[in-house]
Amino acid sequence: MIAALAKRQALILGTLSMVGILGLWQAVVDLGFIDPFFVSRPSAVWNEFLAQWRRGNILIHVSETLRSFALALGLATTVGIGLGLLAGWFRDVESALDPFVWFKYSAPTIAFYPLFIAWLGYGTPTIVAIAFLFALTPIYANTLSGIKNVDRDLVRAARSFGARPYDIFFMVALPGSVPIIVAGLRLGVGRALTGVVVAELFGANAGLGYSIGYFAQLLQTTRMMVYIVIVIILGVILTQLLSFIEARTDAWRVSAAK
Amino acid sequence: MAQIEVRDLQITYDTPKTGERFTAVEGVTLSVEAGEFVTIVGASGCGKSTLLLAVAGLVPVSGGTIAIDGRTVTAPGPDRAVVFQEASLLPWRSVLGNVKFGLEMQRWTRDDRTERAMRFIRMVGLANFADYHPHQLSGGMRQRVNIARALAVDPKVLLMDEPFGALDAQTREVMGDELLTIWEREKKTALFVTHDIDEAIFLADRVVVMGRNPGHIKEIMRVDIPRPRHEDVLDSDLFNGYRKRLRAHLAEDMASMHLVEGAQA
Ligand SMILES: Nc1ncnc2c1ncn2[C@@H]1O[C@H](COP(=O)(O)OP(=O)(O)O)[C@@H](O)[C@H]1O
Ligand SMILES: [Mg+2]
Repeated sequence: MIAALAKRQALILGTLSMVGILGLWQAVVDLGFIDPFFVSRPSAVWNEFLAQWRRGNILIHVSETLRSFALALGLATTVGIGLGLLAGWFRDVESALDPFVWFKYSAPTIAFYPLFIAWLGYGTPTIVAIAFLFALTPIYANTLSGIKNVDRDLVRAARSFGARPYDIFFMVALPGSVPIIVAGLRLGVGRALTGVVVAELFGANAGLGYSIGYFAQLLQTTRMMVYIVIVIILGVILTQLLSFIEARTDAWRVSAAK
Repeated sequence: MAQIEVRDLQITYDTPKTGERFTAVEGVTLSVEAGEFVTIVGASGCGKSTLLLAVAGLVPVSGGTIAIDGRTVTAPGPDRAVVFQEASLLPWRSVLGNVKFGLEMQRWTRDDRTERAMRFIRMVGLANFADYHPHQLSGGMRQRVNIARALAVDPKVLLMDEPFGALDAQTREVMGDELLTIWEREKKTALFVTHDIDEAIFLADRVVVMGRNPGHIKEIMRVDIPRPRHEDVLDSDLFNGYRKRLRAHLAEDMASMHLVEGAQA
């Protein structure tokens, strides 16, 4: 009851502050404090959005970006969860993968861009590869820590009923890790989208990142803003979707901690 | 032959820091007859849990033997079930799911599981809570689930490690009462660890008193209070006598503990 109320209040406040920012943005440009060349203005962005929509450009670029995003996230989820489960269960696998993890944490992924271009060529494969690497780390790391930090009390109780290692993995470690794995996916979603957009900025023939870069070069701020805003909205929607799933899988954990 | 035979048991643990092995239990010999209720008391750290977990097959034996019905214990088995403290329920499973867990592990046929689990859920008075999850239950209810989960696999021996340790005094008494009722009907052999003297006496046919450094048995005290027992025995002279005897043991342990700590300081 109280929680629902607090949630609604958060939603209202969030919406108000968004509207406030938009109002402020419009006002400072209209009043001449900031040159629209740098930031455009909400009303102009909205009109441009409608124009682009009617020409069908928005759909083309959004679907191009979403396609790369889905491929990258799908790959990162499969590989990240797969390796995370293995490394969480088998200490040797974790040790073998450790250098790569450190490497990934310390070296900026985007620095490998030229290498990927050389290997995979210009376009979608390289974009997917970059976004895949962006998203992989949190998915892998969360899965690993979920399995590895399986509750010792639960393992002991399971063993007392004759559970074999196989049972402990599938009946205790895996279900106990679902919330933290989903949390890793939520981080991975944000990073996969970032990866796609960044890689598209560097080189692509379509997509949101490509459009942002393209209009930036032409100094068409309003058009560029249209695509920036779309990226932001897409990111919010995708992350919220995962937060929703996370809250559902996490119910037992949140309440148990109270 | 008794149902549980512990002979000259020694249990040691690895201590990664010093690299030496720490002796938690030494020279423990204990026989428990089928259908007997034996409680274990003693200061904390005297090896009560270690002894119980060794009987469960969850801690390796480093010396001596443990046998159930003549068969040496090397691992957990369907002849024994453990009731742990509340945190041992699977939080993502419902009450029914938790009680079915042991049945799944021991490969009971699918059709039997739900029916059998429900029977024991009803026995512990949780029929209306079968779909609840552990976090939606009180501590006392969670321990009922734990008891139902252990009984459902139909063990001969019920091993309990301070199952009511986290409950408030009143709930604890009620649970003890109900446990006795169930035990009298199910005819299980029970080994029950507690640090509560009254609980130890009230439940037991015999109370095992353990001491520290290393964990050993100081005395085994027979409790001659007729069953079924009711709470009013707590005020009887007989009960008071037992209580005094156990208190003296524990006071001794506390005193020696202070001496050790004083010497180290
Ligand atoms: N897994 C373990 N590793 C190392 N030492 C342990 C372990 N479990 C218990 N001990 C030690 O063994 C002794 C007995 O512990 P325990 O059996 O838990 O005592 P109690 O249940 O009577 O409080 C204690 O000194 C404890 O620190
Ligand atoms: Mg203990």
